[in-house]
Amino acid sequence: MRRLSGRLRSALVIGFQGIRARKLRTLLSMVSLFLGVLAVVVVQTGASLAERAMLADYELTTGVDGTVIGDVQGNAQATDIVLDTVRGRTDATALISMTAIIGEPAVTPVNPGGSPLGESWGDGRPCYPGQACIEGPPVPGQAVELRLTAMTSDVRTFRPFRPRAGRWLEFTSIPAMAPRLVLNREAAEAFTRHRVPAEMSIPGSTAPITPQFIGVVDDGDTAPHAYVRFDELSTWLPTANLSNPENGGAAFQILMTASTPVQQVLTTRLRGIGSDMYVSTVDSREEQESQLNLIRLVFLAMAALVLLIGVAGILNVGLATVGERVEEFALRRAVGTPRSLLAGIVLAETLLTGLLTAAAAIGASAAGLKLLSATLGQSEPFLRNVQFPWEAGVAGIVAGLIAGILGGFVPAVRAAKIPIASVMRA
Amino acid sequence: MTGLIELTGITKVLKGQEQTRTILDGVDLRVDAGDSVAIVGRSGSGKSTLLSVLGLFDRADAGTYLLAGQDITRLPERRAAKLRSARFGFVFQRFFLLKHLTAAQNVAMALVNGQGWLPRRERRARVLEALDQVGIAHLAKNRPARLSGGEQQRVAIARALVRRPQVLLADEPTGALDTETGTAVIDTLSAATTRGCALILVTHDRDHAARMDRTLDLADGVLTERLQAPS
Repeated sequence: MRRLSGRLRSALVIGFQGIRARKLRTLLSMVSLFLGVLAVVVVQTGASLAERAMLADYELTTGVDGTVIGDVQGNAQATDIVLDTVRGRTDATALISMTAIIGEPAVTPVNPGGSPLGESWGDGRPCYPGQACIEGPPVPGQAVELRLTAMTSDVRTFRPFRPRAGRWLEFTSIPAMAPRLVLNREAAEAFTRHRVPAEMSIPGSTAPITPQFIGVVDDGDTAPHAYVRFDELSTWLPTANLSNPENGGAAFQILMTASTPVQQVLTTRLRGIGSDMYVSTVDSREEQESQLNLIRLVFLAMAALVLLIGVAGILNVGLATVGERVEEFALRRAVGTPRSLLAGIVLAETLLTGLLTAAAAIGASAAGLKLLSATLGQSEPFLRNVQFPWEAGVAGIVAGLIAGILGGFVPAVRAAKIPIASVMRA
Repeated sequence: MTGLIELTGITKVLKGQEQTRTILDGVDLRVDAGDSVAIVGRSGSGKSTLLSVLGLFDRADAGTYLLAGQDITRLPERRAAKLRSARFGFVFQRFFLLKHLTAAQNVAMALVNGQGWLPRRERRARVLEALDQVGIAHLAKNRPARLSGGEQQRVAIARALVRRPQVLLADEPTGALDTETGTAVIDTLSAATTRGCALILVTHDRDHAARMDRTLDLADGVLTERLQAPS
């Protein structure tokens, strides 16, 4: 043990001397290895960000992990219970979606059925089982059909929509008479392409509504969609009319945090009137597991390939260095340095170089990520407050060590085999 | 009484592709502690090969090598390295100083060789002592580029002495120096024998050889002692 400690110290002392003596060569080794280790760190960070991005898209449409989703098929009583329970709460929000047409009245909208622009979902006439289809307005006109979702509090607690323009709904002010709408990107595109009158019709509304657009978000939906405060909409659409079949029969979706008592209260109260709430919990990581594994595998293969190039670089420089130091190594053997220590000296140099390079690559990646987060975090929520993943740091250090060992092994063996006679015959 | 070094019938054969050549042919040699021995001979006579065998760089094909009574003829490399570190000091024609290290660090190189670990303070004291022995302690912090040839060779001698060896092997240590500097280097090497260290000097210079206790001629692999008139 004592002998090992002496050799380790000797290897480190001589290794440091070697690095200091050949600064330019060490720097060149580091440059070739830096790219390799940086690739590993970036790839690992990228895989982590790709996971976040993928999960972020899923969060837009479904909800963040752990969100409890309750579905209630409503009637007038159930609607009152739901609204009464969640009103004023921030740990739960009730959503109700319906069809809305904004633009000229009594015309066929440019996207019948609320289809994405450029797609056709039919003529938009609603049909019910056992009945003839309801005749729709025959005349094509300047109107856009979209899904309108009304919410009792801020849905972004559960579905972090990405702001694109304007502002989001705020729930602390007095409800406006002209409901404030936030459009998704497809709806915004529709209203950019088509100039329509400011008139919104919803099945069951008491009168045509004049909405105001206040912002645009990315909600992950490819069809036109708009969001509105429930209390602003209810001025024009009494809760009793929500059960209109054209509005989906007042089907509420309640998004809740895992710790809220709302789920228990609602379940109990709904059972009292003979209704049920169907509950599920968002676990996007589990649902996306196979795709995430594939991403990790692809990224890992790329990292290994780039690291191999770095190893080749350090190997090349290492072999050249040993060739230059034949006399030094022969002399060291002459003064009693064992072969194993000579190999250790070369390995110590490449390992120290690998670790220094890893530290530099990790530092550069962490700084780059911070910069990325600061510049793009506002528009891309998955980049907001992003921390440098510790897995990437570990991967960088491991990559530096592996590159040091692989790149230093052959030069180390060569150094150990140098005959002492090299100094005698010099 | 057992000598410090006893070679008996040492033979070394160089095997070529077509023919073999006997470099050392039954060499017998005895060196006692404090002895100084010069080995002279023409180029290619096997002087350096004999020094390689003596310094455990190479093994003899036949014969026996006793060091302080211990048979070290067939020593494994690991033990040979340990013995080289503990018992031998080497001085070569070229100085082999590492140019990126100071004189003191070059001397310390022999102490940082994986054969035990000396604390920094003790290491420094030993290095300064060795440099002082060869009279250049004041140049300890200088790099080789700032030293003259004679000073560089003295650093190399200090490196050989720093482990307090029992045997000092010098392979034409004055070959790259002018006469005056060479004489000073031989003085330095000879001084080591007063402390009980045996000196084996390979040289072409008859004057330097004459200053040793004994002079041995190596010709065609055979070592013969040259009689010297008492001075």
